[in-house]
Amino acid sequence: MKTAIRDFDSGREAVSHILEAARRAGATSADALYVWTDEENVTVRKGTLEKIQASQSQGLGIRVFVDHAQSSISTRDLSRSHIDELVARAVAMARHTAADPYAGLPDELLAPAADPETLFPPETEIPTREALFERARLAEDAALRHDPRVTNSEGADCARSQARIVFGNSLGFLEGYRKSSYSLSCSVIATEGDSMERDYWYVVGPLWDVTKDPEAVGRKAALRTISRLHARRIPTGSFPVLFDPETARSLIGHFTGAISGSSLYRNATYLKDREGTPVMSEKVTLREDPFIPGGLGSRPFDGEGLPTRKKTIVDRGRLTTYLFDTYSARKLGRHSTGNAVRSLSDGPGVGVSNLIVTPGTKSLEDLVEGLSEGLLVTELIGFGVNTVTGDYSRGAFGYWIKNGTITHPVSEVTIAGTLDELYRGIVEVGSDLEIRSSINTPSLLVEGLRIAGE
Amino acid sequence: MTTPPRHDIALFFEHQFGTSPRLLEGVLGSAVLSPAVDDADLYFEYTVREHYSIEDGIVKKAGQDVSQGVGARIVAGERTGFAFTEEFDPKALTRAVESARRIADKSGNSAPVSVSRPGRPASDLYPVTDLTLDRPVPEKIAVLETLDRLARAENSKVVQVMASLASEIKTIQIVRKDGTIVADRIPLTRINISVIAQEGDNRQTGTYGWGGRTDFGGLVTSEKLSHAAREAVRQALVNLSARPCPSGTMNVVLGPGWPGILLHEAIGHGLEGDFNRKGTSAFSGRLGERVASPLCTIIDDGTIPGRRGSLNVDDEGTPTQRTVLIENGILRGYLQDRQNARLMGAKSTGNGRRESYAHPVMPRMTNTVMLAGESDPGEILSSLERGIYAVNFGGGQVDITSGKFVFSMSEAYYVENGRILYPVKGATLIGNGPEVLTKVRMVGNDMALDTGVGTCGKDGQSVPVGVGLPTLRVDGITVGGTH
Repeated sequence: MKTAIRDFDSGREAVSHILEAARRAGATSADALYVWTDEENVTVRKGTLEKIQASQSQGLGIRVFVDHAQSSISTRDLSRSHIDELVARAVAMARHTAADPYAGLPDELLAPAADPETLFPPETEIPTREALFERARLAEDAALRHDPRVTNSEGADCARSQARIVFGNSLGFLEGYRKSSYSLSCSVIATEGDSMERDYWYVVGPLWDVTKDPEAVGRKAALRTISRLHARRIPTGSFPVLFDPETARSLIGHFTGAISGSSLYRNATYLKDREGTPVMSEKVTLREDPFIPGGLGSRPFDGEGLPTRKKTIVDRGRLTTYLFDTYSARKLGRHSTGNAVRSLSDGPGVGVSNLIVTPGTKSLEDLVEGLSEGLLVTELIGFGVNTVTGDYSRGAFGYWIKNGTITHPVSEVTIAGTLDELYRGIVEVGSDLEIRSSINTPSLLVEGLRIAGE
Repeated sequence: MTTPPRHDIALFFEHQFGTSPRLLEGVLGSAVLSPAVDDADLYFEYTVREHYSIEDGIVKKAGQDVSQGVGARIVAGERTGFAFTEEFDPKALTRAVESARRIADKSGNSAPVSVSRPGRPASDLYPVTDLTLDRPVPEKIAVLETLDRLARAENSKVVQVMASLASEIKTIQIVRKDGTIVADRIPLTRINISVIAQEGDNRQTGTYGWGGRTDFGGLVTSEKLSHAAREAVRQALVNLSARPCPSGTMNVVLGPGWPGILLHEAIGHGLEGDFNRKGTSAFSGRLGERVASPLCTIIDDGTIPGRRGSLNVDDEGTPTQRTVLIENGILRGYLQDRQNARLMGAKSTGNGRRESYAHPVMPRMTNTVMLAGESDPGEILSSLERGIYAVNFGGGQVDITSGKFVFSMSEAYYVENGRILYPVKGATLIGNGPEVLTKVRMVGNDMALDTGVGTCGKDGQSVPVGVGLPTLRVDGITVGGTH
């Protein structure tokens, strides 16, 4: 695939040029990120093509230091003259910002932890627009035919993305890798009487193969949607809550925010001073693995060019380590854990690659059967999560469980508690782990959350 | 950074990207080749952004972004072909149009198109001469240092202050199917302060933000900076003494201003044309029906001068307007872009918006406002026997199809017999869009617009919006507290 860019032959050349331009403009150090993407996205609705989106896009994110003062720029214009002008402006801007003794590039130059070439599966033939259309069409068709109550559709979407990423800094680091992702999703509407509900299903992964069973995606979307018909509220009270893998993922996401070095030095986390202590129930072990072949979060080096590494973050409930980038580590007298993330217009900040919660032994069905009363949650909405205070309150959709069986769908309720109670109240970890995202967890059963309904 | 004056926008693009009228005519002509094509446009954008942030008392981040590109769109019936390019040469542009065009099945010959001179929006809602971007860097850094100092001086319990200043100037040129060109230059500034106050192990946050499409000098005054720092600290201190919020269905009084996010989530999204054309909204097919108490009249108004959600023209070049959504409780209108309006036999309401050249147009809100009623705000609060008085909110979200929506309180009080008893911790409120406004019992005479901080997300696209609300009493909404 052609990746030649305006005035440069490659991303590597552009990054090298920038680092040199920064040096000439008076920067004492600098780093630069180059990202190139080629994407196509086809939407089918009610059997016909509804939308095609296609793009090739490229951009640069640049950070310059004048001693310990910094500024950053990003641009989509890759002409040499524009870049030189921007870099000069960035250096001038950095002179206005305050010196921060902790700001700067990492202390050392280290090789990536994995060979970028082997971390991602070899690129197979790029699917055509027609192939994307066909998979989306088959998914939606399967959903619409699944049940007469599936009466309408928001469409099915099939997308591919090919990306090239190059990162370099003035310590001499210059590495790159390529990444592909493919996705197929389907969202339908079911109606019966005066009840109308929508739900969806999707698959995403590094290989086109992930979309090979479009009918299964459509059927699952249909099944999830019709099972929500006639959802109703439940009485207010405290009950066990069973989070399915899709909603459990969000809980793990909030957790990583609360253990980041940047939240720590800002005093902005309820998990301050908790390293080495229990922060989840002893049923939970959480690992980070940046080297899952083709994993959505996989990467050979982090957003500052430091090698990524495997680690256990929570070991049978105990917090083994906070997560640091270079800045937060320096500020707190620690070392980077290889958890810097960087985007074109922002960063570096603290983030994770792939996370995995170690599965338990009981299936979701077993967990449902074991409950005399409780709520199975399949979708959460809203932003009522505060990692500073640890307060948690979100809108939920799901199913009411009585005597080990699902009795009816539930909507217009909230679940609330504190994150600390929630994580430490995990009484069961399901066996239903599936690697289908960068954060991967089985179902989680939490005791005694407050549900607000009627 | 170079930003063109409004009357020179066409020349600016011609100079910057080589988009001569002849090139545009050629590209557009190849786009409109088939009778099946209902609409087509090219959206040129050049945006310069700047952002500064302070934490731990140090302005350690300063950055700028330059974003430029052309989005090409071809619409045929319900179909849309969309492509964009960041390379400004005729070949790249033609390739983008080719890519978008394949959606219109049939082939045919180019149709002649002649491009007219850019039209200027009839009125200018943001005649800004004092651009934030043009101010010297040290002045902008001083804004953040002042906020930091004021907030720390306000109370010794303040352990962290984070403040940011972000501004942009977006220059756009929309070349439409019929050859008309509409151009605009759209400024935007937002300033935000967020503090953490601590007492023992209890840590709480308070925030305040403001901004709009206005002059820097008007946004940054010593009064405004003092007010912002004081408000953020006050909110954090209130939350330090907050008790667990009750849970269950209860009566709620919403304060004026930003709590208007209720309208945005409960009503606004559900009235966007795309969902209603497809019949996937809880409001589909309900024009003319009662969906709110007769006390409620709700509008979407993109024409309020200087507001964050306002635009001279939308991203399809249609002038924005004041659209009545609900009139005395009766559903009157939807929010439309050109495609959905055409398919529904309606007219665009100037609500076709996109995040950037890299994103397709969708019907979106501008400033969504409930008009003032007749009740005295004090009387509304004293009418509450037992419930929650919520004055500030974080974000919200809605499920368009079922109508279920949430929004999260960030400052709220427990009330009994019309008296505020104590502050309660943040909690999420959940309700049903088509139902919630039928439960409105009183509407205050104190309508206020928010301070200019709203950002709306839809399908992965973010656009700036505004809301406005008078004090409101709603009977029977579910409060997601912990006890």
